[in-house]
Amino acid sequence: MTAILEVRNLSRAFGSLMAVNDVSFNVEQGELLGLIGPNGAGKSTLYNLVAGLLRPTRGEIVFDGQNVTGWKSHRIAQVGIARTFQIPKPYRQLSVVENVMLTAFQQERTVSGAMALAEATLADVGLSEYLTAPVGTLTVGLLKRLEVARALAMRPKLVLFDEIMAGLTPAEIGVMTNFVALLPARGITVIWVEHVLYAIMKTATRIMVLNRGELIANGPPAAIARDPAVVKAYLGEEMTIA
Amino acid sequence: MSIEPLAPPKKPKRLPVLPQRGKLSMFEIALFVACLVLIAVELSQNLRDVMVLTFLFAGLGLAWNIAGGYAGLISFGHAAFFGIGAYTSTILFVSAGLTPWIGLWCGGVLAAAAGALLALICARLRGPFFILSTLAAAEVVRIGALNWSSLTGGPEGLSILPVANVANMVFVSKTAYAVLMLAYVVFVYAITKALEGSRYGYYLFAVRDDEEAASAAGVNPLLVRTAAMGLSAFLTGIGGSLFAQYFLYLDPTFVISPELSFQFALLPAVGGLGTAIGPVLGSFLITPLSELLRSYLGNAAAGLHLVIYSAGLIVVMLYFPGGLAAALNRLGRGWKRKP
Repeated sequence: MTAILEVRNLSRAFGSLMAVNDVSFNVEQGELLGLIGPNGAGKSTLYNLVAGLLRPTRGEIVFDGQNVTGWKSHRIAQVGIARTFQIPKPYRQLSVVENVMLTAFQQERTVSGAMALAEATLADVGLSEYLTAPVGTLTVGLLKRLEVARALAMRPKLVLFDEIMAGLTPAEIGVMTNFVALLPARGITVIWVEHVLYAIMKTATRIMVLNRGELIANGPPAAIARDPAVVKAYLGEEMTIA
Repeated sequence: MSIEPLAPPKKPKRLPVLPQRGKLSMFEIALFVACLVLIAVELSQNLRDVMVLTFLFAGLGLAWNIAGGYAGLISFGHAAFFGIGAYTSTILFVSAGLTPWIGLWCGGVLAAAAGALLALICARLRGPFFILSTLAAAEVVRIGALNWSSLTGGPEGLSILPVANVANMVFVSKTAYAVLMLAYVVFVYAITKALEGSRYGYYLFAVRDDEEAASAAGVNPLLVRTAAMGLSAFLTGIGGSLFAQYFLYLDPTFVISPELSFQFALLPAVGGLGTAIGPVLGSFLITPLSELLRSYLGNAAAGLHLVIYSAGLIVVMLYFPGGLAAALNRLGRGWKRKP
């Protein structure tokens, strides 16, 4: 296996707060890596660092053999890292298919080509009925699918999903989980931040746990669930009554 | 490999068809033919004058709309680009004898450089801060033009000798100017339509609607903003040269005035921001209204024409959200539904 993403000693400070503190990890080609942690653990900061929305204070990011540390977000996208946003960020004045076309332009430079790719991607996430719908009419669940479609339409090598299950019904979560589980087989490596733990525990090949900006655990889902440090981070210390 | 679509909770609200970006509608063609007919019929000098201005401002509104409507770069400083275009071609013509047919492109290029520079300087400014910076930048250009007398003639302005001939782009007949201005509208309209139907048009929409999402899609927002502002300023500068050739006189207080900047922004706002037809409809409504009110009421009661003009604007803004273009669209769809 070859590492598609190498993160070395990555740190980001906001004033005196270390939002991400000396984090190092590798992501192998074809992995489905779950990234979990309590609120404020630094997951979103880590994403923003990898996706180029923030510059790291220290450390290096190597993607596909290329040092991309400090690159701007559009250049990161151009080398094949796609992302979704925790709070969906659709282009409000465009229709659903046009929203997806914008990422499809990475692959297809013509309008008609991009539209065909966008339509195919939307069919994948079950939004075929909504091609010409104004995005303002979509429910939260459908907006999350639109985010996923936008990320996938650029045919990325690596995709960063940020809480694509939040706000979905249990039935929708089941469908989406199955969909994400199939992505590595299509050659798309996935990093997935999620608070819906059962979905991620079931699907991920490996899980990393972030707490207070530091990586506290890294391993297969079964081991993570039993890790005392993880249990402590999520639930606090075991109480003993003297 | 595909996920099963959930049963949609309710039938999706769909647009009847995708917006036909970049394609000409029958309405647009009919409007163009109507303009040709209007040029052909006999009109009083006064009405012909209104017509020339209406066309010129339609083109200027279209030029502003590329930055303001398509890329979301609301500028209240476009009079600076207009002035740069007007002064460049006029100075080249008056002092170097260069024909305005070439001078107007030079003016456009200089204006484009100024527009791109402004976009770069204001790279980190958004919303009201961007708007105020454009307003201030235009003031800098106006005050500069007022004081650089050796080049611009300062407050006395610059005159073009009224020697009518085609090479000088000076005409006796106002009809010739109407044709010139209509050609300008067609030129800017064609560029707008080509942009709208291309990848680059979508880049402008994306940067306007959500910059972070656009950059996550591989679009460089700064490059898009700079290019949009440059193109918009280029076309505005050409309009400035044409204006100079029509009035044959320039002074900074009028040519680079904030009022003019507001006018450029107002026409697309009334007609429909981010649509090609919007600024044209805006100018067709507003320019004759303001010109005719001024000529008929301007002497009767001081300021009355401005009161009526403003009241008219308020009514349009209140009752036509999305501008005249959106209203027209609704009308068109209503017709299609009833066979």
